[in-house]
Amino acid sequence: MITIEAVSKRFAGPKGEPVDALTPVDLTIPAGQFLSIVGPSGCGKSTLLRIIAGLETPSDGKLTIAATGVARPIGFVFQEPVLLPWLSTLANIRFPLDTGGVPRAEADATAHRLIKMVGLQGFEDALPHQLSGGMRQRAAIARALSYDPPILLMDEPFGALDLLTRDRMNDELLQIWRATKKTIVFVTHSVEEAAYLSDRVVVMSARPGRVRAIHDVDLPHPRGEATKLDPRFHQFMATFRRELK
Amino acid sequence: MNAPIRALLSLAGFVLLWWGAVWGFSIPAFLLPSPGAVIDRLVFLAINAELWRHTTTTLGQILGGFVIGALLGIGTGAAFARLPRLERLFTPVILLVQTAPKIAIAPLLILWLGLGPGPKIVLVAIVTFFPAMTGALTGFRYIAKAYRDLAQIVGLTTWQRLTRIDLPFAVPPIVAGLRVATTQAVTAAVVAEMMGANRGLGYLLTAGQESSDSPAVIGVIVILSLTGWGFYELVRFAEAKLIPWRSKA
Repeated sequence: MITIEAVSKRFAGPKGEPVDALTPVDLTIPAGQFLSIVGPSGCGKSTLLRIIAGLETPSDGKLTIAATGVARPIGFVFQEPVLLPWLSTLANIRFPLDTGGVPRAEADATAHRLIKMVGLQGFEDALPHQLSGGMRQRAAIARALSYDPPILLMDEPFGALDLLTRDRMNDELLQIWRATKKTIVFVTHSVEEAAYLSDRVVVMSARPGRVRAIHDVDLPHPRGEATKLDPRFHQFMATFRRELK
Repeated sequence: MNAPIRALLSLAGFVLLWWGAVWGFSIPAFLLPSPGAVIDRLVFLAINAELWRHTTTTLGQILGGFVIGALLGIGTGAAFARLPRLERLFTPVILLVQTAPKIAIAPLLILWLGLGPGPKIVLVAIVTFFPAMTGALTGFRYIAKAYRDLAQIVGLTTWQRLTRIDLPFAVPPIVAGLRVATTQAVTAAVVAEMMGANRGLGYLLTAGQESSDSPAVIGVIVILSLTGWGFYELVRFAEAKLIPWRSKA
């Protein structure tokens, strides 16, 4: 479970004046939930995600991550794949295990299992530049899952992909979520992606960055083509879109 | 047509032209000897004047100076990337040494270090240092922020980050710097030898000039060119081995 209490972030602007990147946010994310944060650029959605990840320190407020007995509770998928260009797909996925001191045989077994899960069989030995954009992002997801963190944070992971690949990646992500029961916090600027994937959607707005509304998206699981024909799916999208204006 | 064949054809064409010019225009041999005369002279020097020893002397100085300059340059670049204050403090001095004409430094080094290999190695190290340092500084400084984030998320130690992420990323600009340094290193060694030495290819050049021995001078120039070229190709080969993701991309 992730508890965010009055967390805010203030940057120094170009002339040294304080700029509110994020006005105080309160949010509780139960274990196993798929939560999306949607908003325009500059609304602080990435900042909030990076605060949860520990990549930024909040200016104020309190963040609690309840994940007992786990050394590395957080997996992070960046906008870009951020693969190491000199490592093969397999070695990239195994990277956190290698550096974390997991025995080679065990790490290899885990990496092979994940390669299967994200559908990269046959590309174990390929270098990142030999993979397509979608395949690279799949490898990045597998790497984030390699050490089995209970929480997966994703920062517009499919933003750079074409629409068809993106749709397919969304379905694959839902499958992974069902299979692994991870808590997922997913940042996007697409209302469709947010409505399709999530249990709960946080809508944010910019200048200053703040939470505009929070919605429970109670569309039935598993989601698929039928979801996209559901009038309520379109209602959710329309609501989010209105709130983003 | 592949690259080696093209290179050979191009060289053969050049030699033919040279031959043709010497014959066609009846250029006197003391100005421009024919390629055959140059080869004859090189064979003579090889048998009677320890050409091989002169060549290895120069090669050894180039290699020694290059390795020393490269190591110092890479270390300094890495340190500067970590400590910008140190960089600001030392950059003016380094720039001053770097912008001074190498030919002007050579006599001073010979005064200090004598006629042996010392001043040659130091001069080669000086010209290698700067490109190596610049390459390392670039490589270590401009690593995408996302990779630092990754290191933090995955929980790398400082040492792991240095060896697993920073160093591999710094290799391409370092090798690019060393590639630039190869040609300068050959020049520096020869310049230092011409200023004062009792052996080496630069010494042979000066001796040849003093005795109006143009076949020997041209022969030594050819050897030097081949040395520089071979050295350059060696670094390129190392680059392709070290950075497969770059050369195939």
